[in-house]
Amino acid sequence: MNCGLGSSKPDWKAYVLGELDAKARREAEAHAASCVACQDEAGSLRITLDAMATLRDEELPRRIAFVSDKVFEPKWWQMFLKPSFAGAAAIAVAILVHAFVQPGAIRQADPVAQVDAAAIEARVSAEVEKRVQQRLNAAVNAAVDSAVNTAVTKAVADAHKRNQENTAQMLAAAERRYGQSTELMTRQVTQLYAMNTGLGVR
Amino acid sequence: MIFREVEDRDLISKARRGDVEAYNLLVSRWEKRVFNYLLRLVNHREDALDLCQEAFLKAYQNLPKLDDPERFSAWLFRIAHNEAFSLLRRRKPETEYEEPEAKGIGGRMLPIELSLAVESALKVLSDDQREAVLLKVYQGFKFEEMAVILDCPVSTVKSRVYTALDLLKTALAPTVLQK
Repeated sequence: MNCGLGSSKPDWKAYVLGELDAKARREAEAHAASCVACQDEAGSLRITLDAMATLRDEELPRRIAFVSDKVFEPKWWQMFLKPSFAGAAAIAVAILVHAFVQPGAIRQADPVAQVDAAAIEARVSAEVEKRVQQRLNAAVNAAVDSAVNTAVTKAVADAHKRNQENTAQMLAAAERRYGQSTELMTRQVTQLYAMNTGLGVR
Repeated sequence: MIFREVEDRDLISKARRGDVEAYNLLVSRWEKRVFNYLLRLVNHREDALDLCQEAFLKAYQNLPKLDDPERFSAWLFRIAHNEAFSLLRRRKPETEYEEPEAKGIGGRMLPIELSLAVESALKVLSDDQREAVLLKVYQGFKFEEMAVILDCPVSTVKSRVYTALDLLKTALAPTVLQK
């Protein structure tokens, strides 16, 4: 059975797929109410989509690695490929090569090269001075650290000694008080015994 | 759903400012959908997982290029689509898709049997048709969004979906009519 509207019949695929606007949907439904062919077509499409809906989503066999996971961290060799690291490494190598290879050549070079040599010497002097200063600072820091450590150790030992003395004094005082109270009690007991037995007090 | 979209947008803007955890949360939200889309497209779990991983990594790297955060899902599926078809193109000469078994299932169908029938029917479709169905029926994208994902006119998208739907209706008819 064919629809009487022919090629202008409602787009039932768009209908079941939710692509029709509200007005077109209402018109399609109104037409289907009196058209068996369109009812069949819409019904069979609906059944097909219902069957497809039985296919459920599967769980992931394992979770996706997050961007912050270790797996995304660059390997050690990849660090060398980073522009900043590679640039710094290249500059360092250039300076080293310059420092070790150039001095001999500079002395025999032309005036322009001598100007460069003077500049390089100035840079090298500055670098040497900087490194000496760094080492000096490190030595001073180490000496200061050592002195501080010694002072702290001594202070701790002194405090410990003072504590021991205080404890000994407190212990001696407590023993003295204990002796005195024991003696007093003995005397009182003796007096009471004498009063009760009539043996007199010595 | 609206709340979820707002949150996604917020996460995207945070991720674009370098907040890795915001992006990780986006991955958690979308990984299952993207994985299932890829799984049904390439029909191989490990490949689908690798592609999914790659798609999310590329999405992260290209996040600053996303013009409109509102279109994140279409953009993400576009990346996943590119990954999948790159694999399918490499794989094509080596392996042909297996034809679904034309087995008659007698009696009343169980849901699992119906699912298997649908899986088989999807394999009848071409890669383009199957992807169109996956995006439309299983991921719920509009034709316009699909046109962005697939980088083709809306008319092409519509044609692929309609043809695929006709083929699926025919392939599933013997099964669903028994139900």
